[in-house]
Amino acid sequence: MPTQDNAEKWEVQLRKGSLELAILASLWEGRLYGLEILRHLESDSELTVSEGTAYPLLNRLRTLGLVETEWVESDSGHPRKYYRLTEAGRQRALEMTRIWDRFAASMGGLLAPLKPEIASALGHETKKEER
Amino acid sequence: MIASAEDRKSIDAYLAALRRQLRDLLDEDAKDIVEEIRAHILDKSSADRSADTVAATLAALGTPEELATRYRTEELLRRAQMSRSPVVIMRNLLRWGALTLAGVSVFLISVAGYCLGGFLFLIATLKVIWPRGTGLSKTVNADGSWGLGLGFSNQPMTGHELLGWWLLPIGFVFGTGLIFLTFRFGLWSLRKFWRPRAWG
Repeated sequence: MPTQDNAEKWEVQLRKGSLELAILASLWEGRLYGLEILRHLESDSELTVSEGTAYPLLNRLRTLGLVETEWVESDSGHPRKYYRLTEAGRQRALEMTRIWDRFAASMGGLLAPLKPEIASALGHETKKEER
Repeated sequence: MIASAEDRKSIDAYLAALRRQLRDLLDEDAKDIVEEIRAHILDKSSADRSADTVAATLAALGTPEELATRYRTEELLRRAQMSRSPVVIMRNLLRWGALTLAGVSVFLISVAGYCLGGFLFLIATLKVIWPRGTGLSKTVNADGSWGLGLGFSNQPMTGHELLGWWLLPIGFVFGTGLIFLTFRFGLWSLRKFWRPRAWG
């Protein structure tokens, strides 16, 4: 169905647009290496991100000075590249979160009239499954 | 841990291809990226021990060409995000100059470029206000040697004036051109070579 297709494309764009904030947020509590960031995003938010997307994005965040990196030796036999937010990165994450909240609130108001319909559609589906 | 020599070979081949594809990037950046991807492949494929795990990890990354294209795209995005304001550029050049010799050189060349451009512009403007004291003049000394002087004074010029009113368009065009080139040079250098707080 073409509408289904377009909805999926839109979702991909949404995820892409929020990935930068998601990565900055995952580093809020301390340093992580690339694979840890990917796992953090998967477990905390079901934001499955392909590594082929995440590493180049991390590299841009580094060259913009939003994160800094250091190589740390590990037990696994090879060093790992850890990422940490810089002060500029923390500021950017806070600013993006403010924008995100404002946006979500205004969209929430706009979408309120659509919600009952979705809730009743969901109700139908669960009833069908129960039967 | 990866034991199979075949796995090692396919990882090395993948990384070598990636390194070649990243040749546009700064050398230290490209090396760093390749080492990071190597660590990722080793970590991920040793975590779950299925038979074709190295192949699966490489497949998830995409081909070396695809991965390198993503790095280049992000690099273009970064360059596009940098400020084009001359004041911000000069401030960043100053910060860069505090760190490396390359930064100092670009900063000094930019200062010289703006000064010379501004001077040409000023001379052309003064030619309008005080035409007799401003210009490019050739003076011949008593011993036969000669010199060229570009400038202005409150005295009428001595010596033979070379450019006359041509000084106006030449000063404005070269002054503006030099200022513009200096701006482009600073922006280009920052975009290509500057890494704010590169290594933690």
